[in-house]
Amino acid sequence: MTLSNKKVSSILIGGKAGEGVKKAAQVIAKVLLKQSYHVFQADDYQSLIKGGHNFSTISFATEPVYNAYNSADLLISFDKRSMETHWLDFSSSKSLHYYNDNDAKPDITNPPCTLIGYPLTALMKQIYSSPSNVSMAAIALFFVWMECSEAELESTIKQEFRYGIEDNIRFAKAVYRMALADAHLISESKPGLQANQAQANWRLTSGNQAIAMGAWLAGLDFYYGYPMTPASSILHYLALKMPSHKVYAIHAESELAVANMAIGSVVAGAKTAIGSSGGGFALMQEAFSLAGMAEIPLLCILVSRPGPATGVSTYTAQEDLPFALNQGHGDFTRIVAAPDSPERAFSLAAELLSLAWEFQNPVILLSDKHLSESSINAVFPLDVPFFQQTIPQQNKPYERYAVTDEGISPLLFPGSDFVDEDTVIKWNSHEHLPSGLRTDKAEPMIGMKDKRARKGSALNEATKHYQRIAIYGNSGTPVFAYGSSVLELREAQKYCSKPFVIIALVYLLPFPSEELEQYANSQIVVLEHSVNGNLATYLLQNMSLCIKHNILRYDGRAYDPHELAALLEEVL
Amino acid sequence: MRELGTHKENTWCSGCGNFGILTAVKKAITALVEDNIKLSNIAITCGIGCHGKIFDYLALSGIYGLHGRGTATAQGLKLANPKLHVISFGGDGDSLGEGLEHTLFAAKRNMDITLILFNNGTYGLTTGQFSPLSNNGYKGLSTPLGNIERPFRAIPLLLEAGASFVARGYSAKIDHLASLIQQAVLHKGFSLIEVMQPCVSYNNTYADLNNRVKMLEITPNEITQSVKLAADPEHVYLGIFYRQLLPVYHEELYQNANPVLDSLSHQQRLELLSK
Ligand SMILES: Cc1ncc(C[n+]2csc(CCOP(=O)(O)OP(=O)(O)O)c2C)c(N)n1
Ligand code: SF4
Repeated sequence: MTLSNKKVSSILIGGKAGEGVKKAAQVIAKVLLKQSYHVFQADDYQSLIKGGHNFSTISFATEPVYNAYNSADLLISFDKRSMETHWLDFSSSKSLHYYNDNDAKPDITNPPCTLIGYPLTALMKQIYSSPSNVSMAAIALFFVWMECSEAELESTIKQEFRYGIEDNIRFAKAVYRMALADAHLISESKPGLQANQAQANWRLTSGNQAIAMGAWLAGLDFYYGYPMTPASSILHYLALKMPSHKVYAIHAESELAVANMAIGSVVAGAKTAIGSSGGGFALMQEAFSLAGMAEIPLLCILVSRPGPATGVSTYTAQEDLPFALNQGHGDFTRIVAAPDSPERAFSLAAELLSLAWEFQNPVILLSDKHLSESSINAVFPLDVPFFQQTIPQQNKPYERYAVTDEGISPLLFPGSDFVDEDTVIKWNSHEHLPSGLRTDKAEPMIGMKDKRARKGSALNEATKHYQRIAIYGNSGTPVFAYGSSVLELREAQKYCSKPFVIIALVYLLPFPSEELEQYANSQIVVLEHSVNGNLATYLLQNMSLCIKHNILRYDGRAYDPHELAALLEEVL
Repeated sequence: MRELGTHKENTWCSGCGNFGILTAVKKAITALVEDNIKLSNIAITCGIGCHGKIFDYLALSGIYGLHGRGTATAQGLKLANPKLHVISFGGDGDSLGEGLEHTLFAAKRNMDITLILFNNGTYGLTTGQFSPLSNNGYKGLSTPLGNIERPFRAIPLLLEAGASFVARGYSAKIDHLASLIQQAVLHKGFSLIEVMQPCVSYNNTYADLNNRVKMLEITPNEITQSVKLAADPEHVYLGIFYRQLLPVYHEELYQNANPVLDSLSHQQRLELLSK
């Protein structure tokens, strides 16, 4: 590939935790987005606050980018460890690698790329009176590389940073000027692409932000959470939106509290969601069952990381599929759906919250770290469903679990304006009578179980109104995947010489049998991030297929598009 | 006023202290209605245990939740609609064992709810095993040689956690208990009423309690005095041990807003998002 027609460019920033790697990447991604580049930003970080090694990648192009690349055109290392980690594996002869030469002294005669060292630490000592911020250097170097002006650099910093603005600008400008003098060295690495017209409705959004905003548009009033990566950013994001968006994000004492407080809020009529990763979800099991029994509409967001147990906190995995499908004990209907892009994360969160309310049932949105924490330029699809509460006909006396043909009983909430003094609304975790009073008698027990089962069938049927699978590509071997694996496949599709069609399962439960019938008895490939091949097993339990190859990755990392394309060429 | 009972058959053992508590709750609710509180603005929650059955015997709205989680569901209700007066019924196993964290945190937050703690010193419903409030030496099915642990002291524990209204009643002193419940519900902040409740089947404490109960003459001003009286080895003091007005959680969170009643419409959300 020659530079001039190169489709995707990538920038990699590496440093210690606490050096602002991710923030710098975010700012850069935003600048690119303003210039109408499609971006994909992925953050690789460890579960520590200072030290260690973090890096962020921003891949960008004039066409959609679905995944981040390992090989970078521009590399910026704040410390020695980043430089040494990245300069071999992540660069080509055409890459440009800036490093901090107060920290790293490369003793190499034939560097794999153009290396330029600047005395960033010394410069910071000179300039900062307030705590220094090395991430400014990354932004400044990026501006030189992109041929953006110093004035633009200044206004970007003013917009994006709140503290130490003066010193930050002075430091950024000093770096900018130093790099400008070496501008003749950068030409080979430059992106060979011109940006489009500005896109007004693009926003840089992570999967988790999209989930949060999708649910919010569908009426979310409360979010309860207990911090656990990679779900925490939903809690953080909604907490920030609390004053402006009238959504209440509560950090409770444990996941047990999260789930049970959420259920209390639903009983008072609030549209509510909860979220965690596998470990926290495990603690919510009993409450999830309560939601099944008491017919509590609740959106539950499960964002996977490698397990079992504490596992690997800040990396990606798809090990929780069987867990998600089997949440809670006892007989009741479960719904599990997994977004295959941040846009879908938005629409699916809204769709699921609305389904939950329409059918008074808990639902699970299953995501993974790579999808939830990577950011892209997204356009939110605003035509999502919104469940509008209607005031039930008061056929006296009100019964919370009135038996109906469809199995759906009318909803009322204590304290709402439509409830009179004679109305009693009883929700119950025990098996109950239509009135909500507890029972252990055989006949009413059967009646209530049948009612919930009818409702469950109607709910399963209703999922058919939504897009339960997505297909990308025209011909070739079907490759099945869900979640962020679909993003990996879509980017790899650009390079794979053998054609393939991506079959993305958006709804996992109920199994989208009707939509998948066309692939019955086909030879397929399955891609997933697990060691056991849970998706492949699940597919075979539900339909007849011939699995030619099950690509399994379980090191917590996402595929590089070229790497995956090469792998697919072998197995297709 | 309408009937506060239900047609549900009562399955408590005859002589159980729970009957007195049920009567006191009904009296307190009647008095609250006279204070202009609407029944439609009262919500109840409970855990699982003999105490939880009170949910079925009261014609009031709410949720019969999970073992130990009654104060968590109560907090969720209050937060969503602060207009509600939320009363949670907990057992000692329920609120101080399985669900201890929620009880302590509800107090820590000064969440504006009322917890009525049924202290029978045993797990009644599951046939009399020792509870977090059972005495040292208590013999039950899981401790045939006697409880080797020492009990929590509910009132000092909850005071330390941050409860702003703390009282103790006795199931056999119905009018006194009813008055405590009424005051607790009207108190703005987290209120705890520990109710001494004999379990005739597994821990019959009537004789001992009748000997030892004594009315508090005044509510102490000093928390150390409250703790001392609550932990008195000789007397089981009844009355209000502590009462203080402190900021409540929901008002700190959203002042006078009401999340469910002021929830933004679809149109308002669309407009905000398109900005
Ligand atoms: C998660 C869970 N564990 C155990 C039980 C069984 N269980 C029901 S009630 C109870 C203890 C009841 O003791 P307490 O809370 O003191 O109430 P009491 O019956 O004495 O009123 C237990 C262990 C349960 N229902 N749920
Ligand atoms: S077992 Fe004890 S607490 Fe339960 S109903 Fe009987 S006497 Fe009351």
